[in-house]
Amino acid sequence: MESIELLDTQAYLISGYRTMQCSKYLLLQITDAEAAGRFLHDQHTFVTDGKTEIQTFCMNLAFTVDGLRMLGLNETNIQNFTREFREGMTTPHRQRLLGDFDSSAPEKWNWGGPANEPVHILMMIFGLDQKITDALYLEMKAGLEPNGLRELMQLDGQTLPGNKEHFGYRDGISQPVIKGSGRTSASNDYLNAGEFLMGYKNEYDVYPDTPLITEPQGDMNLLPADAAGTGYKDLGRNGTYMVLRQMQQHVEDYWTFMNDQTKNADGTPDEKASRKLSAKMMGRWPSGAPVSKWPDEDPVILFPDEEPSKFVDDNNFMYHDEDPHGLKCPFGSHIRRTNPRDSFEENGKKESLKLSNRHRIIRRARLYGEPIAGSATNFKPAGEVGLLFTCFNADISRQFEFIQYTWANYPKFKQLYNDPDPLIGVRENPEPGQLQNFTIPEEPVCKTITGLKRFVTIRGGAYFFFPSISAIRYLATLKKA
Amino acid sequence: LTAGTKTTCMKKQHPLTLSSPVIPGRVDELEAKLLAVRRELETNPAVFEATGTIHYARLLLLKPDHHAAFPRTTLVFSTDYDGAESDHLAAIAGALGDFIDPLYDCCEGYPATRTPETRKKFLQAQRAKTDAFYAGAPRRSLVQIRQESQLRDFIWRMLKEEQWKGKTAQQVHQAIRQAVSQKEEFSWANEPISLPKNQLIPYIFYGVLILTGIGLLSLTALFWILGVLAVVFLFVAGWLTMLHYKYELHDKPLGLTPSRIDENHVKILEEYEDIHNQNQFSQLIPMKPGTVRSGTLSALMLYARIRIFVEFVEGKLMGIPTIHFARWLRLDNGKQMLFFSNFDGSWQQYLGDFIDKSGWGLTAIFSNTENFPVTRYLFWGGAYDEEHFLAWSRYYQIPTQVWYCAYPKLSIKNINNNSAIRQELIRNLDEKQADRFLKRF
Repeated sequence: MESIELLDTQAYLISGYRTMQCSKYLLLQITDAEAAGRFLHDQHTFVTDGKTEIQTFCMNLAFTVDGLRMLGLNETNIQNFTREFREGMTTPHRQRLLGDFDSSAPEKWNWGGPANEPVHILMMIFGLDQKITDALYLEMKAGLEPNGLRELMQLDGQTLPGNKEHFGYRDGISQPVIKGSGRTSASNDYLNAGEFLMGYKNEYDVYPDTPLITEPQGDMNLLPADAAGTGYKDLGRNGTYMVLRQMQQHVEDYWTFMNDQTKNADGTPDEKASRKLSAKMMGRWPSGAPVSKWPDEDPVILFPDEEPSKFVDDNNFMYHDEDPHGLKCPFGSHIRRTNPRDSFEENGKKESLKLSNRHRIIRRARLYGEPIAGSATNFKPAGEVGLLFTCFNADISRQFEFIQYTWANYPKFKQLYNDPDPLIGVRENPEPGQLQNFTIPEEPVCKTITGLKRFVTIRGGAYFFFPSISAIRYLATLKKA
Repeated sequence: LTAGTKTTCMKKQHPLTLSSPVIPGRVDELEAKLLAVRRELETNPAVFEATGTIHYARLLLLKPDHHAAFPRTTLVFSTDYDGAESDHLAAIAGALGDFIDPLYDCCEGYPATRTPETRKKFLQAQRAKTDAFYAGAPRRSLVQIRQESQLRDFIWRMLKEEQWKGKTAQQVHQAIRQAVSQKEEFSWANEPISLPKNQLIPYIFYGVLILTGIGLLSLTALFWILGVLAVVFLFVAGWLTMLHYKYELHDKPLGLTPSRIDENHVKILEEYEDIHNQNQFSQLIPMKPGTVRSGTLSALMLYARIRIFVEFVEGKLMGIPTIHFARWLRLDNGKQMLFFSNFDGSWQQYLGDFIDKSGWGLTAIFSNTENFPVTRYLFWGGAYDEEHFLAWSRYYQIPTQVWYCAYPKLSIKNINNNSAIRQELIRNLDEKQADRFLKRF
């Protein structure tokens, strides 16, 4: 197994920075490319790599295609990036794939949309606490304007204790682990580096499409050769693509819907039933425990005296044998459809796992807004809340977009008829006559929740190139006189 | 049960492909007309509804400036339809007459006097022979697919609206059966149907049985048969070896990755993708020259036809569960291959499924066409080179100006499930079977 070059890889791909409670994503625009190049050169030693032990803060950089153009990468070389990245998240076709309609339409976004100023660079800073983050931000900010960089917007983020997101669920439990990164994992989560890093072989045992420098420019000595042996220098190696989507969460709508669907005959709320319906849709309980193992109640509630850690990070489950008919975890639930594991009905267990693993992403969610641990009885946040959904993949089309379209938005997933992902696949204004259901298999007859509502609104987003540290150095040389 | 309903059920579907050279100088006019049809179809599919037998239809132009460089611009009109070809052509010539006249007016040899008879004669002369044809729900007529969908929706609503707690699956099944039988509009559902089944195991069983029988009667005869089989096997092995050393080693792959494919080409293709939950795929690829290649492909097409007939009758083509119809054919005196399919989901899913589930089959067929990714011994390599294969697929994909689907809201899995519901509804089921029946909803 080939070891990946952690010292050259930006650390956010390798680590979720769980100890970094606070973060700021700065959306930057380049006003003076030459100065920005110098700034990048000065900053590259400051970028957190995947090998050095993390201290009290971290900083990582990502670039949009406009940013790469501004820095001076010429059009021939730009064309070597994948279409998804070059076109961005907001073309009409992508809008259909991602389901960004109605209030989520790119025209209405706060950033990244056609009506917004183009983002060039994303600077992500993380600190152990608010004080460190703010101090780091002030220091960085002072260096921006003089170096030809303008801050368009900042997206504050945080992680909550227990990794809860605003709906009240523990998030980010199931994550693939990169082979050669020094970490190991259960075999079904242990994937070839090429799924998440360019310059390494992927799960098909081939090298992913990578941005080669086919027309030499800048300091070519900074770049490694293409591992696939084309003879060109590879700008992509040890880098990857990063998807960022700002998702507003309608916590009140979410829990009101669950409460309404489960209320008692006399109209009073049934908290337990509401929690259960929500868990069936999610596929996990608020604590994180999988519904496929605990079909009726959160084990943290069932066993208050047990150590919760026994349940909350449990990712050791499959569906094929344990829950073939979805009687525990419905086929349409969010976690079952976005990672079907070993349970495609037309394939065996091993084959299913192999297929599932060709569509994985490494997720890095951070919350924004006043934290609320949502529940059936606590669902009124103060102001807008949501999450900054971030994910890494070497092939946006086969990984992120595939999951979002084929598994989440597509209502025909498995043998379903009209069931989009209840969390991220529902259309706000469906076509006339279009049903949006959630089917809960039960015996003798399944239960169907109809009239699903959309609980998230996309407020911004973009595809970024998340380069290696040497590629950042290289980009800094393009405009050097 | 009336005679009228009986005829609408369990009919063989067929592919129709008409290929007509366009009059030079009228290509732009025809293309504009086709795009107008496309816009019209977005709101009004009436034209293709007229015959009541068309599952899918597409109209597209093969052009010299496609990557395959078709020798002259040609209009292709294709359908997946129910019933006999002659009736279908008559229906197009009649009910669709006003629709096809302005289009074929731009093509060579369209009669000046346009009657159902003259049109049909013209259409007959335009037919191209299909090499292989796959249907995801074999023998389900359009009428039947729609009826069974209504039946499923009716039962689904009933299951949702009534209380079933405490009932056994058998009781629920009985109650549904009762309710359906009282509905005049579902009288057709009383007609039992038999759905095609994968016959591979019976065929192997009978094969072995026959060989054993022959062996018992005459050992010599058995040895002769086994000898012939061994010779065939050696011949195939020899053929693959020859193919590899004489041809494959000299083949030139396209060598592009998806990011290197011409921007505008993909843009035009994507413009009409993922609008519904179904998509179409049209591919035009030049054959590699020579009789060795064309002979290899013909043998593979025969092999495909056999497997489609015997095995791929339950909604999966080589393990791919999302294809409604697919066809392969050769045009331009066998120099160009045309591949059409209608499928559920996105392009990425469709092509990904192909690689994941039947990369070898795909490689065997398409490695006989130009610029396919490096292939070894016909079945190895090729499509498994994921990035290059995806790029190759896009490269030879061509725009489909007009595409019609009679049931855009049904997946092929839905269609087959609906048939199973209809089949099981009128049977007497035991508790276990009734339970399985209810899990179909």
